[in-house]
Amino acid sequence: MICWSCEKEGGGGPFCAACRAILPPAAGPLGAGPGIDRFAVLGLPRKFEVDLGAAEAAYKELSRQLHPDRFAKADPRARKAALARTVEINDAWRTMKDPLRRAEYLLELAGYALAGGEKSAEMSKTRKVSAPPMFLVEILELRDELAAAQQAGDAVKVAFMSEDVRGRAAEAMKTIGTSIDGGTPESLDAAARALMSLRYYQRFLDEVAVHEERGAPSGGDRG
Amino acid sequence: MAEAFLQISEPGASPTKRACQTRAIGIDLGTTNSLVAIVDGGRPVCLRDDQDQAILPSVVHYAADGTIVVGAEAHDRLAAEFPRSTIASVKRFMGRGPGDAEATRKLTPYQFAPPAGDGGNVVRFDVGVGRAVTPMEVSAEILKVLKARAEAELGAPLDGAVITVPAYFDDGQRQATRDAGRLAGLEVLRLINEPTAAAIAYGLDKQAEGTFAVFDLGGGTFDISILKLEDGVFEVKATGGDSALGGDDFDRAIADALLAKWNLTEAAATDARLVRRVLDGARAIKEKLTVEAEAKIEVALPDGNRSAHLTRTEMELLVEPVLMRCTAPVRRALKDAAIDLTRNPQRGSEPPAMGSVERSSPAPDANSAALSGVILVGGATRMPLVRQFVEKLFGRPPLGDIDPDEVVALGAAVQADVLAGGTGQGDMLLLDVVPLSLGLETMGGVVEKIIHRNTTVPCGATQTFTTFADKQTGFELKVVQGERELADQCRSLAQFTLKGIPPMPAGMARLEVTFMVDADGILHVSAREETTGIETKIEVKPSYGLTDEEVERMLLDSFAHAEEDVQIRLLTEQQVEADRIAAAARTAMADSPDLLTPDDRTAIDAALASLATVRAGKDHHAIRAAIEALDLASKDFAARRMNEAFDRGLRGKDLAAVEAKADETAPKRDLASRAGGHSGHSH
Repeated sequence: MICWSCEKEGGGGPFCAACRAILPPAAGPLGAGPGIDRFAVLGLPRKFEVDLGAAEAAYKELSRQLHPDRFAKADPRARKAALARTVEINDAWRTMKDPLRRAEYLLELAGYALAGGEKSAEMSKTRKVSAPPMFLVEILELRDELAAAQQAGDAVKVAFMSEDVRGRAAEAMKTIGTSIDGGTPESLDAAARALMSLRYYQRFLDEVAVHEERGAPSGGDRG
Repeated sequence: MAEAFLQISEPGASPTKRACQTRAIGIDLGTTNSLVAIVDGGRPVCLRDDQDQAILPSVVHYAADGTIVVGAEAHDRLAAEFPRSTIASVKRFMGRGPGDAEATRKLTPYQFAPPAGDGGNVVRFDVGVGRAVTPMEVSAEILKVLKARAEAELGAPLDGAVITVPAYFDDGQRQATRDAGRLAGLEVLRLINEPTAAAIAYGLDKQAEGTFAVFDLGGGTFDISILKLEDGVFEVKATGGDSALGGDDFDRAIADALLAKWNLTEAAATDARLVRRVLDGARAIKEKLTVEAEAKIEVALPDGNRSAHLTRTEMELLVEPVLMRCTAPVRRALKDAAIDLTRNPQRGSEPPAMGSVERSSPAPDANSAALSGVILVGGATRMPLVRQFVEKLFGRPPLGDIDPDEVVALGAAVQADVLAGGTGQGDMLLLDVVPLSLGLETMGGVVEKIIHRNTTVPCGATQTFTTFADKQTGFELKVVQGERELADQCRSLAQFTLKGIPPMPAGMARLEVTFMVDADGILHVSAREETTGIETKIEVKPSYGLTDEEVERMLLDSFAHAEEDVQIRLLTEQQVEADRIAAAARTAMADSPDLLTPDDRTAIDAALASLATVRAGKDHHAIRAAIEALDLASKDFAARRMNEAFDRGLRGKDLAAVEAKADETAPKRDLASRAGGHSGHSH
């Protein structure tokens, strides 16, 4: 990239190799520069297993160097570059620190259409996985059962059900963890299917949480 | 530095010698009180007025003569006497429209002006004398006083200001605060969240590390923030609250009960002064009961004094339902930040049942953190009931060693210093979040969230949408903010259209919408149709904010009003008066030459001539003086005319004619016929 400040070749890093001026990231697909994914932004290998401590340390160090606050009184081009760089590292850290987002991102990088659900399904380059009908039936039954228990105010049943679904979610997460770094189309498909089921479980658990929040007695009186 | 850093209540420190690297200021623009602080010699201090008061009551009085009084005088004296033209708690109206709950509340001393043509979405106070002011203008008056205080201390011009806002302020409320800063002539470097500012001041002072909750209950707003403090990085993990919940609501609950007790509920609906006095009484008894177990108050009302006796327990029963509204936001924030209160080894009692599900991760235990402490901010946290409530909610007593009034301004000053290039705080860095989710309305009024709440700023996200109908050639984009599922339950921020898409079957056009929130928390939206490359971009100006033109006009208006308008009005009044009295004098001299002595004539002519001279100038004091001189010079002559007229009347002449003559010397008639005239000579 040609540096905006010294007009020499500045390299691909956040600072110009020649004059140390801050440079914007090169725009690329999926929110990171070409050839640089969100893992690389934080100096991590593209793998599901990440060292979160190292990732957080890298994130904070980069924030210290690149945050727009550091350039509050600088040239507008430097401020713009700092903004874009910080958006990039914030994106990267948000993806890294959450295993679900991390898995989604890895599958997206592998060409799976996940983020927008069916919205991008028609794109020819994407790979699709669909939930088996039996699974969908099962989920529908679980949701019906939950709604009935909530209706009846059966808190014990709701608790048991969410415990069960939490177990399934943990299982799915485990499947993702063991298969996503496998690298074969089969292991990726397995991870994508597990991720899809995880989302359904998540929605179930969200529903429980929303219901609890809404129905909770409004007091600190439980202490 | 650790010990000496946050010397909050140390009036002894001499304010004369400043060792400031920057002229950047931090302002806590509070519902009840406002403060300004600077960084001096590497540590923040609040600036005091000539009465040695750091606190400026956030009360603005608009006097009938056009002057504006801000602060203690307005709060202590004028608010009770002129409830309509004295605006207290203006912050509750920031970014609010005329239809908002806050502006339609029954128990209010204010009168609202009908919406104006431009900026019709902004609520306006009718402060009498034909004047209507927006909340931004009222806030700007408070900011001007603080700005002047800082300039007196640091010298002008300032490098800029950081103003604090409740974390839970939405985009519209933030924009309104920013506009107020501009109206006050401040360069607003950044708006930062109040709890974050408090954490900065506390964390730097105590060299604290760990995860802290800041419980901020001020006069009008409630905020809860969870922050992680590590190596000088202040990372906001989650934030929540209620931008219309605070100590004012306690006062209102107490006032409601007092009015009911005194059978005045109905009278209060129409009597602003009554409401103001009972609210003041409620606040007084609340403050007394903060230190005492029981208290008595007396409220002076036009039809006699009323008194009430209240125990602390009785008062607590009145305010508890209001306080309980803090519970849900606290639980949500703890959940969003993945705080596990059970991991807190020091907990004093069972923690409240938390939502047991982790949204972002199905395995919360791995990610959850323990809480290191709870920081209290805001005057309302002085109440014992609030402290007990916090202790129950978090399962631990709050940290008590900070001044809840000053800590926010101090933190803002630190951030201002950092942004202006000061190096006193070393590597201090603030990582803040989006308080409320941002999204787009889709078909059926459903919200598609694009940036979720508690995402670290700056941030960006892109979402693809398709057309709904065949041959649809435009997209109507409605940007909303809030957590609700339906758009009409969220705050509408902006609306724009992408046009010129060639007709295609439904679902074929692909609209890529990108949201970007910059470091200031301001949202930028761009939209691009992928197949054609048609693009549009906007910086979101919330419906309740002001356009640049409106700000400019208001700035001009307010400058004119503050400096020139008052002068012009006083001048015009005196000029009209001069014309009236000069004309009357000439008429009298023409009518009664026989009653005029040569000395009178000389004196009056001289007085008329000098009045005509100053009348052409711009000094209203000089005109006033010349009018009085003319009055004095024509006194004897006027008296003789009076006597003669009455003599004639008594001698049996037409009394009506006498009265008509006498009337000529009366002011009103001439004023009416000559008000538009420019010079006394035109007669």
